[in-house]
Amino acid sequence: MRRTERPMASLPRPLLLAFMLLLLAQIVYHHADGERIENRYRGLSSPYSADIYRGLALGSEQLFGYLLAIRLQLHDNQVGKHFRYSLIDYDLLADWLDRITEISQGTEYPMLLASRVYSSTGDPEQLRKMLEFIERRFDDDPQLHWRRLAEASVMAKHKLGDMEIALRMARKLARQPASLNMPNWARDFEFLLLAELNELESAITMIQALLQTEAVNDPDERRFLQGKLSDFQQKLFESQQIPDK
Amino acid sequence: MTSQTIALFRYLMLGIVSRRLFSLLAILLLAAILCGSFLQELAIINGAAIVSAFVADLLRYCMVLLALLMVASAVAEDYESRQFERLLTMPLARWQYIAAQFLVIASLCLLLVLPVFLLMSIYSGVAIGCYWALALWLELMLISLLGLLAILSLEKVPLAVFFSLAIYLLAKLSGLISLMLAESVRLSDGSAASRAMELIFGAILYLVPDTGSFAQNNVFFHAVDLFATLADQFFSVAVYLLFLLAVCLVDFYRKEFNF
Repeated sequence: MRRTERPMASLPRPLLLAFMLLLLAQIVYHHADGERIENRYRGLSSPYSADIYRGLALGSEQLFGYLLAIRLQLHDNQVGKHFRYSLIDYDLLADWLDRITEISQGTEYPMLLASRVYSSTGDPEQLRKMLEFIERRFDDDPQLHWRRLAEASVMAKHKLGDMEIALRMARKLARQPASLNMPNWARDFEFLLLAELNELESAITMIQALLQTEAVNDPDERRFLQGKLSDFQQKLFESQQIPDK
Repeated sequence: MTSQTIALFRYLMLGIVSRRLFSLLAILLLAAILCGSFLQELAIINGAAIVSAFVADLLRYCMVLLALLMVASAVAEDYESRQFERLLTMPLARWQYIAAQFLVIASLCLLLVLPVFLLMSIYSGVAIGCYWALALWLELMLISLLGLLAILSLEKVPLAVFFSLAIYLLAKLSGLISLMLAESVRLSDGSAASRAMELIFGAILYLVPDTGSFAQNNVFFHAVDLFATLADQFFSVAVYLLFLLAVCLVDFYRKEFNF
């Protein structure tokens, strides 16, 4: 047999009043506590020069660089709480990432932190700073960092909605020498973005240039490019027909 | 002569090797493994290399401290129990005591390095494990002999350990100190005092081991010629060890013992 409940109105008034007051107190306290904890967030300090960290590393520069990167990665966890990335000063963060890159050369860790961890911020300006960092540091070792630049290009397009930056990064990838061991899809980004920008002629020229060179040997890749070429040529033709109608 | 030295070495070694030493080694290894596992949880990429390098460095500093403490305490005990006076009444030359201590140091360092070799071979493969064990053995030899010199001269364990650690850190931080002094010269517009300090420190650096005398932790991250790196370290350590042995002998022969 289901037990029935008495209506709320039948409860003693002082009990209801006390309940409402305590609920309000809990909400106010939680709100104030949240602000209090957020005020306890300690921001990043400016990093010293790379030479100082190298000196402090006692000869283990690579390890020291990685330990600094892990320390930085844990920065948003303070007083037993995870703080929002929007609280972090991204200029200082980029300085730290630069410094770690200089200390342990040949490491992918700072680029990975920028592209996978700190890019999850909701603030477009902060995201832009991380993308700038990735683009700047890509030239240090394109072979090591092409994945990060490709990710950054995708983020610039989809998350930031800035096609100019996305195209610039994609162009940087496409212009890498054939000796760089990188899958063709990374080089194809540029013409795909150009097509999205309705710059079909540029995209077609690019694909034709790619097909004429020896850079694309893979039959599947050639088939993909030829398919895209026909597709873009069709679109271009259709777009040129529309005004005549 | 040789058999006397070997007998003295065996006698001194018996005073060092104990069950407590093995227990301490086991605890240190376990602590290093646990710390490494914690770090592995945090690392996003290159976790294996980071953990290997971290465990190797952690064990390096633990072993340096352990070797220093053991050598210093053993010689300090000889001072306290008037062992030197007893030894010198026997038909033994003073150099034989130093030679026996050198053998003790070599064996003790080997004993400390063996578990590190096993652990690093598991973490990073036999080649890196071999390199790290041999490089660490050379580093431990160097620091332990420095400790022997310090305890023979200063006769007190804390003083000897602090002195040896100070030299060790000075050698390891020489790059940073040189940088600070160069910066100080620049900021003071080349003042005579700053320049003098820089010169004095430059002269001191000639008397401390150079950075090439220590095991290179960067081998865990980059492919390097391990044999060439080890050979460089060997020559650097060999020269410094001979220099330290000479200083030990000079100091020990100058000592007066009251019979």
